[in-house]
Amino acid sequence: MTFIQALLIGLIAGLTVLDGNWLGEAKFREPVVTGFLVGLALGDVTKGLKVGAELQLLWMGATGIGPTAQLDIGTGGTIGAAVAIMTGKGAETAILFGVPVAVVMQFINTLLIASYSGLMHKVDNDIEAGNFKSIALTHHFCNWATFALYSLVAFVAMYFGHGVIQAIADGLPAWANAGLNGVAALLPALGFALLLNIIFEKDLTPYLIIGFVLAAYAGQAITMVGITLIAFAIAMIIYQIRSNQGTVVQSASALDDEWED
Amino acid sequence: MAKNDVISVENNITKKDFRKVFWRSFTLLGSFNYEKMEGLAYLYCIEHILKKIYKDDEEGLKQAMLRESAAFNMTIAPAPFVMGISIAMEESVKRDPNFDPASINAIKVSLMGPLSGIGDTFFWGIFRILACSLSIGFAKAGNPIAPFILLILFNIPTFLTRYYGLKIGYTSGNQLLIDLEKSGKMQLFTYCAGILGVAAIGCMIASWVTVSCPLEFTISGNKIVIQEYLDQIMPKLLPLAATLGIYSAIKKEYQNHKDYFSNRSDWICIRCIWHYCPIGGYYGYSRSTCGRSFDSWPSLWLLDSTV
Repeated sequence: MTFIQALLIGLIAGLTVLDGNWLGEAKFREPVVTGFLVGLALGDVTKGLKVGAELQLLWMGATGIGPTAQLDIGTGGTIGAAVAIMTGKGAETAILFGVPVAVVMQFINTLLIASYSGLMHKVDNDIEAGNFKSIALTHHFCNWATFALYSLVAFVAMYFGHGVIQAIADGLPAWANAGLNGVAALLPALGFALLLNIIFEKDLTPYLIIGFVLAAYAGQAITMVGITLIAFAIAMIIYQIRSNQGTVVQSASALDDEWED
Repeated sequence: MAKNDVISVENNITKKDFRKVFWRSFTLLGSFNYEKMEGLAYLYCIEHILKKIYKDDEEGLKQAMLRESAAFNMTIAPAPFVMGISIAMEESVKRDPNFDPASINAIKVSLMGPLSGIGDTFFWGIFRILACSLSIGFAKAGNPIAPFILLILFNIPTFLTRYYGLKIGYTSGNQLLIDLEKSGKMQLFTYCAGILGVAAIGCMIASWVTVSCPLEFTISGNKIVIQEYLDQIMPKLLPLAATLGIYSAIKKEYQNHKDYFSNRSDWICIRCIWHYCPIGGYYGYSRSTCGRSFDSWPSLWLLDSTV
């Protein structure tokens, strides 16, 4: 881990913060993207992508809904992928380091957000005083302060901590590795369950079955794109039928009125 | 040439100003805080237009700025729509002294819930799932095109939503939303998008959850592999059982702790990881060391039980 590499990791972690704060949740924080970038920085794109894919499955259900921020999958994914490539181990190492980082950074983020609250009163006073520059200034300050803190934490952890990280990863006994692999196998199920929790309703059950059965039985014969297109076609059919029904009902009631007249 | 087309003649608001709102709206979460949430950023997005509307009325400008920086929180992709409405209403405030300025924040607050609901379903629930799930396949194969697929697929709908949201919000504003609500088209559209999302999840459960049963034993010379029997019943039965089991456990957790957690999805997430890591760890451990014995039974039972 050279100085430049650690710096790049720090910047990638910073980018995942900017993604939410400055780039309109453009999804640079998703592990597939950070895995790719970390792979570029550390010189192993293929491995970065593979680790990213594993972490992506794991965090599929980590969404930011309601007035809260989510698990910090951006920094967690970045550090996880970096550790996996650095130590030469698999995705289980990425999970071992990535998940705690995601939880801790989320906690730090909560503290930051709470501390920014105090600045809001200052802006109110500035507006009353006619000092309109303070609006943009405060807005920029909050964003770049978060960016700087995240980059710094990731940089320091990678540059000064890589020896410790390597020691932990090397010293991990076989049973712990096996256990982590089990976690890795099970966590995607948790992610999908969390997703279902968001969008699933009872009357959507048939479509869950269709998607599952197509993938389970057809396996490789039909790809994800194909299944998505089939679902898209079904959605279109339902939309057409239902919106026609709406007009039918309307014209029927119009007829009723005429009869009554 | 078209850059300086004047959109609102009375206040000399040009296309360029709207473009500025559009680009600034990407920074909506930049100064997120618990006091006003996205309020300050919201003001930052439309600040330059307010200055144009109230160019000769400093007191009015201050009032407008305090008004527009009130607490605001919304999924950020549909937020430009609300900004369009705000701008149109601020113009009305300036034009018509009888117009009640308090109605602006009333509208904003009334839109926060429904638009966030729609936005979360679409952008977090559906576009994100589709973009991520399509890119995972490429990423697993180590294909460097994966991140680009993810970014492009996700960002095209968000860009369009922002751009047209701002435009439509300014011109037709609140009326459009009311019409959509009344005709029931919006619910139908959300429902149909849900079809897409749920089918994608079903597909991903079968493709990417890799729970299987390691048990096999020999009875009078015949080797019996449990997984083969399970496959005969239905392939990917265990991944489905695991996911649905966890899903119903989460549902229960939500219901039991509704007051305590209210909307804290991150805590639910952390709690779930906390609960399921030991199970997964035990499952992996029993697979690797004593995968050929009965030891793995308890872990499989646990998958189905609620926590």
